[in-house]
Amino acid sequence: MISKKVVLIGKYGVGKTSLIQQFVHQRFSEKYLTTIGVKIDKKTVNINGTELNMLIWDIAGESTNTKIPKSYHLGAHGAIYVFDLSRPFTYENIVTELNNLKKLISNVPIQVVGNKLDLLDEKNASQIINSLPLEVSFLTSAKTGNNVEPLFQSMAKALLK
Amino acid sequence: MRESDTFKKLTRLILEEERQAREQLENRVEVIDQNLNEREKLEPRIAPILNDQVIFLQKKFPELFGPAITASIKNQIKDSKDEVVEALYPIMGKMIKKYILKEIELLSERIDKKIDAAFSLDNWIMFLKAKFLGIKQGDMMLKGAMDPVIQEVFIVEQFSGMLIGSYSRITSVDQDMVAGMLTAIKSFAKETFSVGDQELETIEYENYKIVIKNFPKFYIAVIISGIISKAFLDKLDDIILDFVNKIINQRSEKADGDFIEEEFSENLNNYFIKLKKYD
Repeated sequence: MISKKVVLIGKYGVGKTSLIQQFVHQRFSEKYLTTIGVKIDKKTVNINGTELNMLIWDIAGESTNTKIPKSYHLGAHGAIYVFDLSRPFTYENIVTELNNLKKLISNVPIQVVGNKLDLLDEKNASQIINSLPLEVSFLTSAKTGNNVEPLFQSMAKALLK
Repeated sequence: MRESDTFKKLTRLILEEERQAREQLENRVEVIDQNLNEREKLEPRIAPILNDQVIFLQKKFPELFGPAITASIKNQIKDSKDEVVEALYPIMGKMIKKYILKEIELLSERIDKKIDAAFSLDNWIMFLKAKFLGIKQGDMMLKGAMDPVIQEVFIVEQFSGMLIGSYSRITSVDQDMVAGMLTAIKSFAKETFSVGDQELETIEYENYKIVIKNFPKFYIAVIISGIISKAFLDKLDDIILDFVNKIINQRSEKADGDFIEEEFSENLNNYFIKLKKYD
């Protein structure tokens, strides 16, 4: 079976762990538990008859006080950059951060995801994504499960290309 | 007419010598041509010269080509550093382990044993217990000691944490995730505590010990239960290095692409059966 490593990155509290929980276990918790270091989950998906093991590295979001080892990103076959649509601080430096990511892992598919869509109305969400200098791949809600499955399915397809 | 005949005669007389010389020259050129273009004739003439040159080259080879070859090898090593390290690592590791660490560690172990045996509190307790129960102290010690058992072996790609192969005698949690978490722990330890190129080599908890052997592109983690002696670790080292040298490095040479997990796992199973006799 083919195995691929996918890293989820983004500022703390944007919902990386919740997205994985929703995708892998179809559950959501309102309780916020900050990820320490890294947590690894696995889900096998079937893409057009091909079984793919997705090893998902949930990398703790950096804050001013915490530094996360850069080597967690190394060897990743794909990356999902998550930001919180309701907190501008989480997407202010998105271009710089994506460029830094590309220095660590080059030539791999990267999806940019705006999470917590359930906290905004459609108009506000559109305004935010239009204001960003790059294309947002998916708008998701880990809470309702909206677009979570399509996000990981799309990543899985990109990994198999 | 007479004048003409005389002139012809005169010309013949004057050029006769020239003509003969030219004919001789033509014959000679023909012989040389044959000597040069016909192998059977050329070979006996050139063979002694070539032999002399071969002997000369044999004698002078290091002097004539040594610097060029050294430079070429140096460049090759410089350009393919990873491959060279990969190929040499197990051999060098084996040598170093065998001739330095082993001797020092075995000596140290023997000294420790003697000191422990003579002065430890456990020893006195065991001595009294044995006396009280009427059992030989040696038998009690044997019962107390837990033999080391290889529980699991993981071959994991450096950095990415992808599982390349595994051997397991117990059903553990998901092996892909174990490989990932081990890699994360290694990365964390390296970035947090290490200076230079140091690597995490062991993780211990209660009766279990994870021994990690690092190679440039992958690492091997062996989970062992029981009491582990230096001699056991040394034997384990030899088997790992042998496995890397004979199975992984040979496979890497042939393979263009990624490692194939099933292939290594099968080999690991066959290979680590050998370890059962050291369990």
